[in-house]
Amino acid sequence: MAISARDMTVQNASVRIINPRNVLSIDFLMPVFVMMLVSIGWVTMYSAEPSDTYAHFYKQIMFFFAGAAIAAAIISMDYRVLVSLAPAMFVVAVGMLVAVLFFASVVNGSERWLVLGPIRIQPSEVTKVVMVYVLAWYLTKLGMRIRRFHWFAATFLIMAVPMLLILKQPNLGTAACLGPLTLVMLFVAGCRLWHLSLVILAGLCVVPFAWYQLHGFDPVEDKPKSATYYEAHPEEMPPPKPFYELYYHQKMRIYTFLNPEADPKGGAWQTIQSKVAVGSGGLSGKGYLKGTQTRLNYLPEYHTDFIFSHLAEERGFLGGAIVIGLFAAFLLRGLMFARDCPDMMGTLLAAGIVTILCFHVFVNIAITVGLMPVTGIPLPFLSYGGSFYMTTMACVGILLSVPMRRRILVR
Amino acid sequence: MPSSHDAERYPGVENRVQFFAVAMTVALAVLGVQLWRLQILNLNYFREKSMGQIVGEQRLKSDRGIIFARDNAVLADNRPSADIVFVPGECPKERHSEVCHSLANILGISASELYDEIESKRGAPFIQILVQQDVTKAERTRIEENAYKLPGVFTKVHPQRRYLHGKTAGQLLGYLAEIGPNQLETWREDGYRQGDLIGYAGIEQQYEQLLHGRDGFERYTRYADGSPQLLTDTGGKPYIATRDTAGNLLDSMGIRHDPSRGGDLHLTLDLDLQEHCENLLGGEAGAIVVLNADTGEVLAMASNPAYDPNVFVTQNLRTEKNVLLQGPKGATPRERLDPLKSLAFKEQTYPGSIYKMVVAAAAIEEGVITPTSTVSCGGSFQMGAVLHCWQRHGHGGTNLVNSLAYSCDVFYYTIAQKLGIDRISAWSHKFGLGERTGIDLPEEAPGLVPNPAWKAEVHKNDKDPSIGRWYPVETSIMAIGQGSTQMTPLQAAAMISTFVNGGYRVRPHLNQGMKPEREKILKDETVEIVKEGLLRCVEKDDYPRGTGQQAKVKGLRVLGKTGTAQVVRLAVRDEAARKNNGVVPWALRHHAWFVAGVIEEDLRIAVSVLILHGEKGSDVASPYAKDVMEYVYADKLKGQHVALAGGE
Repeated sequence: MAISARDMTVQNASVRIINPRNVLSIDFLMPVFVMMLVSIGWVTMYSAEPSDTYAHFYKQIMFFFAGAAIAAAIISMDYRVLVSLAPAMFVVAVGMLVAVLFFASVVNGSERWLVLGPIRIQPSEVTKVVMVYVLAWYLTKLGMRIRRFHWFAATFLIMAVPMLLILKQPNLGTAACLGPLTLVMLFVAGCRLWHLSLVILAGLCVVPFAWYQLHGFDPVEDKPKSATYYEAHPEEMPPPKPFYELYYHQKMRIYTFLNPEADPKGGAWQTIQSKVAVGSGGLSGKGYLKGTQTRLNYLPEYHTDFIFSHLAEERGFLGGAIVIGLFAAFLLRGLMFARDCPDMMGTLLAAGIVTILCFHVFVNIAITVGLMPVTGIPLPFLSYGGSFYMTTMACVGILLSVPMRRRILVR
Repeated sequence: MPSSHDAERYPGVENRVQFFAVAMTVALAVLGVQLWRLQILNLNYFREKSMGQIVGEQRLKSDRGIIFARDNAVLADNRPSADIVFVPGECPKERHSEVCHSLANILGISASELYDEIESKRGAPFIQILVQQDVTKAERTRIEENAYKLPGVFTKVHPQRRYLHGKTAGQLLGYLAEIGPNQLETWREDGYRQGDLIGYAGIEQQYEQLLHGRDGFERYTRYADGSPQLLTDTGGKPYIATRDTAGNLLDSMGIRHDPSRGGDLHLTLDLDLQEHCENLLGGEAGAIVVLNADTGEVLAMASNPAYDPNVFVTQNLRTEKNVLLQGPKGATPRERLDPLKSLAFKEQTYPGSIYKMVVAAAAIEEGVITPTSTVSCGGSFQMGAVLHCWQRHGHGGTNLVNSLAYSCDVFYYTIAQKLGIDRISAWSHKFGLGERTGIDLPEEAPGLVPNPAWKAEVHKNDKDPSIGRWYPVETSIMAIGQGSTQMTPLQAAAMISTFVNGGYRVRPHLNQGMKPEREKILKDETVEIVKEGLLRCVEKDDYPRGTGQQAKVKGLRVLGKTGTAQVVRLAVRDEAARKNNGVVPWALRHHAWFVAGVIEEDLRIAVSVLILHGEKGSDVASPYAKDVMEYVYADKLKGQHVALAGGE
């Protein structure tokens, strides 16, 4: 690749790391949308609080301030400097993903954490943002060469590395997020449309793949035996799993999405209860703190992945629609930055960040209203979780930094 | 500085970004539409689902009604039964093992098994773990005395069925058992649920709806992870516990319907007489039925072998229950009689000569003979085959009255041919034979009155058509209560009631609340002439004596008829006797029948006695009838009033 970093040195960039005049040019609409979503998130978290001490509520507020600090740091740096660091970020991210395969603690079977003293990092979260930088860097470097097929195809090779590592964890949701990200950034970067169509067609081949995976699948018979079972029966070995086979819990999620009534007390419980929570909300909801689905423990994960169902139950269609509307406004504002940014790097960065956030908003809500199978995808600003909250705030910072640097170039 | 090359944008990039913006907006709009579909269009469906799953309903079970005999003697009631339960969440964890050992000491159970069960229920700390069912008073007292060192241990009291007189009337009362899956499906709407006890035989089954009462309920909000716990106070009255199995605080919705107790039932049964009849039977296999001949009220219905229904409802008698349910496994036919099947109404058998009164009445009613017509009995009757009279040297010229008094077979062989099978069959049905009497008990045997259509139906699959044909000689055989004719002792008692009460067919019943049903089926003249024969059967004590002469009670006017029902061909019986040192094996012996009625009293009763394989009715069965009559009229016979004045 004929890409060199000859004039992308940190020394050059450092002159613009902090520039107080830029603060005056900060966008004012986006912070308004963000603060509205953040406030709704706090109010909702107070109602969805699972513990008696309101620990989650207070922590969520702290996450915001920590995230705001990260956003401020990002804003104060020129995004072009950060993009120029993308190759280094890529190496670190891939390193963490490899490390996580060896020294990770497992939560809920699929989310993997790296514990460094008091800090717990979810490398797959970080990777999402890093990959936006990497793609922005790569595509800017390529320029119009992206219209040639081999450069176009090389993009997927770069993406395949973190994707496969994340799939190995296994974290289907995050890996899936990288797909749309690649497609959108290629599209914005100006790739040939028939190249893109080819990829989408290839993606449609997933349908027969899924059919192959679920063909003859039986939730009871195919259930893998527990580790304790194999301890008790040392003569038996777990059957080998070919690499192309999905895990049982992954198959189960697709299966229960397709047959929600098959086992209402088992795997489909989440989908059914989420739909009941949303549906029973009606126009104006059951009232704040009066959501029975949450109060009586019917709705699972109501403070994390299913917080939208909780909100829709208590605040009804009006509340749900307002939240979706605010997300739309926030994301469209981000796309306006992309459209109006004079340089390719800022355009790509903004479009990529919007894609990631939009993916989370769309998939999370689609799951809660029963349009998609259950996968662990949190909702920005609303779902509880430090790692993800800070990632979201970092994304906000990146978005805000794009229009702030516009003037320099124009001048 | 980044090179200006990096910053250049290709023309059209804005369009691509805007296209993406439109696509994103459409995607988010789809979510809005789905939200609208769920929350606005399908609101009612999801509201119902949401309400349906959070409203829990705890049933408050009703007490079963009490069953009384005549004069308010209690036959079945409910006693408080105490279960010991342990709630792990009410006891500090480190004391679980200590409590297990204390309980094991007091109740004699295994401490480690209990501890394992507690461990296995960890997910539901407030579940009630059953430690011991139906503990004795002493055990319960010891638990209560040691309450300070048994935290989390509670006594749960609930009513349990009790049959106060054990075996007495046990077959009539029936018993309770858990509702079966098929029954549950049909009865669910009536409020029955899995695990409910329902009547499985006898009165308990027949009057299930009345005795069961109506269950109440209490509504409360239900958590997804727990189920409510019903506790009872020390008096056995139910109330809702405040925590469910997972330890969630329960919130009563303030909606409570108290259960309504099952209705009481008063039976026509006379407890003393019933007990007397059962004692009379002793070890004999047989049945005694005593009816009020005017109303059809059942005064006693005894049968042996019998069972004690308490074994079905008492936890500690589980082995006895299983033995009963598996059925008798004796070596001899006598031991193989099923105690669950009352011989009085669930089993039918050949009636023998007691059936003759029906043929006699039919012949008079149909005019084929007059009261004075005679038939000459030479000891046998020629009709293709030779049919014998039990009196091998014959009765000579016999009229209707004497034919009943001496039980002449040839008389009935002859008039049966004049009547024909269709008329005999029709008259039998008028008496209620060959069909259920309609007594308020389940599984009554219908008896059997054979006729050509019945025989053709039975043999319809036989290749040889001659097997299914009705031969005229069969008409003569069935007319003396042999062949295929079958009857229950209950039917026999109802049959003679018609002659005691002046020609009415009655419907036997046990519930005092039932209105007696009567239907006049015989003309008074017919009743009179048959009655004369039945009276002579008992009262004629000079030579030639009436066959029922042993049932004569001084001071009473008694109608009677003996019956000796052959169960196998005589040749088979004689052959078996020869092999058995001249003793006929029990299962081949004749059934001994006697039916009796008392007239010219305020209370007119009908009695039927069946001694299974008792040999000769006149010797074996009639003394039982005599004893019963003496018992019933004991007061009058001592010059006092009759105790059992008929109700209606």
